[in-house]
Amino acid sequence: MVPVSTRPRRRVGRLALTLVLTLPAWAGVAAAHSGGLGGATREPLAVPTWLFLFTGGGVVGVSFLLASFVTDRRLVDAVHDWGRPLPTPARALRAVARAVGVGVLAVVVAVGYLGPETGVRSLTVLVVWVAWWGGYVASTYLVGNTWPTLGPFRTLAERLPSLDRTYPDRLGAWPSVAGLLLLVWVEVMTPLADDPRLLATVLVAYTAVTLVGSAVVGADDWFEEVDPLARVFRFYSRLAPVGVVDGRLRLRLPGGALPDTVLDGRDDVAFVVTLLFVTTYDGFVATGPWASGVRAVEGVGVPPVGAYLGAYLGGAALFYLAYRAASRMGRRRAATYLSTDYLARRFAPALLPIAAGYHLAHNLGSVLVLAPTLAAVGAAPLSPPASPPQLAGLPSWVGGLELAAVLLGHLLAVWVAHATAYDLFPSRLQAVRSQYGVTAVMIGYTMLSLWIVAEPYVAPPFIAS
Amino acid sequence: MTAPDPTHDTHVPPDATAHVCDRCGRPFVHESQLALHRGLDHANGLSPDERAAFETAHEEEVADLRRFRLLALATLVFLYFGFLMTYAVVT
Repeated sequence: MVPVSTRPRRRVGRLALTLVLTLPAWAGVAAAHSGGLGGATREPLAVPTWLFLFTGGGVVGVSFLLASFVTDRRLVDAVHDWGRPLPTPARALRAVARAVGVGVLAVVVAVGYLGPETGVRSLTVLVVWVAWWGGYVASTYLVGNTWPTLGPFRTLAERLPSLDRTYPDRLGAWPSVAGLLLLVWVEVMTPLADDPRLLATVLVAYTAVTLVGSAVVGADDWFEEVDPLARVFRFYSRLAPVGVVDGRLRLRLPGGALPDTVLDGRDDVAFVVTLLFVTTYDGFVATGPWASGVRAVEGVGVPPVGAYLGAYLGGAALFYLAYRAASRMGRRRAATYLSTDYLARRFAPALLPIAAGYHLAHNLGSVLVLAPTLAAVGAAPLSPPASPPQLAGLPSWVGGLELAAVLLGHLLAVWVAHATAYDLFPSRLQAVRSQYGVTAVMIGYTMLSLWIVAEPYVAPPFIAS
Repeated sequence: MTAPDPTHDTHVPPDATAHVCDRCGRPFVHESQLALHRGLDHANGLSPDERAAFETAHEEEVADLRRFRLLALATLVFLYFGFLMTYAVVT
């Protein structure tokens, strides 16, 4: 999700490569990972793919076994109960932040239509993909959720009169699942990172839909149940060290709030699983087997868009069903009368650190490399330099940081599942057994992700990007 | 997103006999689970019988955990050497 030809998954490819190389020899890793983004050529894997996949799965399995050695209930509770109060920001500061949010949206849309048409010279593309999607989104899980204040859509929506129609409860949060799927579908199928005009149009459309929707059902219900961005940030911020408890800011350990988080229903579970799935799909359509598969079905007369859409919706459903099956397995293994639904709602927050870890690894390098570009283009958005500066390369430890993000995400996920299970079950062995399903899902997801990044990058056929 | 619900969300099959907590109504599959639950979540005001049941269940749990730890350790050792050998052979 970075301008021009700098698709991040190729970086992650090399990142994953380093993951494998790390296990036998950390030392050789960093050197193999150069910071350059475009025109990346992949180093060949040092080990066969199957071993690479099993190693990744093995690391997750081993961390589950290691976590199971921590059997002191008081220790497990103490870790996630830790917290300190923080001062609350003044109203004036919040008003300024709201104005900044709306101002940035206005500038970004205007420059999208009036400014240069090439991705890497466009402030619109750089602000949306580098500053916002790469940098700002990371702040929601690394620091805390500032989107309710900074997000321009809510600020605008609250200024408008509302019809205050009752939001139909039976819809739950399913519209946000559809919205998230639609957003990522548009991102994958259109050259959003290369075409500032198109990106500005998408921003205008998103603003319009949001304003109309929240005018009809009221801003609270809209941003609580429907708006996918607000919900992504709210879920991500559950693992941030700064959170809101009873209207006051509070400092906690990263991930500390997750074991106490109960999702409201299947719709929320589906949203979290979809968040994981969309990252995977973005990478999956850029693999060789997908390219030959989609060409084959095109050969027998299926329109390529149908193949993409089928794989997209089918994949999302498959992810959700796999997670449901894992919850059922946990329920059976733990010998409990807690419902499968309830277990699914309790364990799903453990998947969030994995999603956050992959997000950080995908975006850290491109944010650093393109930060000077953003500064240069931001100084003169309507007449930016012909070829704005980029960092020529990144120090090798950045690769280590990306690797650490993926690993830490997985370790945190295993720990959150452990603490959740201890909270749920009176018997500690029961708690361990209840995690078999969710651990199996995590191992499977890791192996799938590693397979995707180990596959050479093949531009997805039949779509303009 | 809400805070954990103390009553939980349970489903007892119609033909099963559940061991139900008389304080909060949560059903359990095994009596030992109920005894542990009472000792952990309703520690105040346990009757002597309930306390004895909790202690027995706790001792059994510790013994089971010890067995599980041994198995987990064996699995770890197996995985470690398994990967070590595999890497030695393959690369």
